[in-house]
Amino acid sequence: MAKLIRGKRPKASIPTASMSDISFLLLLFFMVSTVFVKEKGLNVILPKANAIEKIPRNHSVTIYVDSRENISIDDLIIPLENVEYMMANKLALDYNSLFCFRTDKSTRYGVMSDVLKQLQQANALRVYFEARLKR
Amino acid sequence: MGFNRKRKAEVEIPTASMSDISFLLLVFFLSTTTFDIKKGLGIVLPAASKEDTQKVKLKQDNLTKILVRADGVVLMNEEEVSYEQLEDRIQKLVRENPDMVISLKTDRDAKYNNMVIALDRIQSAGAEKISLSTN
Repeated sequence: MAKLIRGKRPKASIPTASMSDISFLLLLFFMVSTVFVKEKGLNVILPKANAIEKIPRNHSVTIYVDSRENISIDDLIIPLENVEYMMANKLALDYNSLFCFRTDKSTRYGVMSDVLKQLQQANALRVYFEARLKR
Repeated sequence: MGFNRKRKAEVEIPTASMSDISFLLLVFFLSTTTFDIKKGLGIVLPAASKEDTQKVKLKQDNLTKILVRADGVVLMNEEEVSYEQLEDRIQKLVRENPDMVISLKTDRDAKYNNMVIALDRIQSAGAEKISLSTN
């Protein structure tokens, strides 16, 4: 009876030579796209809405208003009377500035109305009310 | 007499751990990256009224008044409506009269969240001429 010669199985291996290239590519992507948050702001719970649109980040000035009616711009708690002056300064630096409100949903509207008036006085008219998408 | 020259040891940078380092950095950026996408409801405020500003009177037929009361109840032309009804009714109004201006007024003691919900419904209904009254 003839002896059957078993064929040698080829060794299976995953090529890992390009592993570092792939990881460096991903690393580069994350390094480029990472944005470190500049300001801490105030602790707010945003309202939810459906008709929201994306706010251009590079021209936006964020105004925080919390439920205790504190107003914060650039991590500084400022009195209501100074909002007009600060916004006029922002507008002088960048004419295309957009003004985004990050307001707690339980805040009394009265304070918002006062801040809006200050913005009108400063001629800062392009306003966004930040909200989360309702699901 | 022949001198035996010593062989110079080959100099090389070890790259075996390169992928480990890059993956470590990659994991760091993956876990710390936050995509700062702001979304919200946009509106353009009217300029602050000055003495020399000409005021234009709107026809009553082209104006719909919406009031958000302190208790969160919405009145549309002094008639109480729910937030769901508000969207449908404005949609109908805007379809019939594209020049319709929606004036949204909110009580100072109302919650900011109620104003955002009302504004969201108005924008969802397709209204483009929205006036935000400050009081």
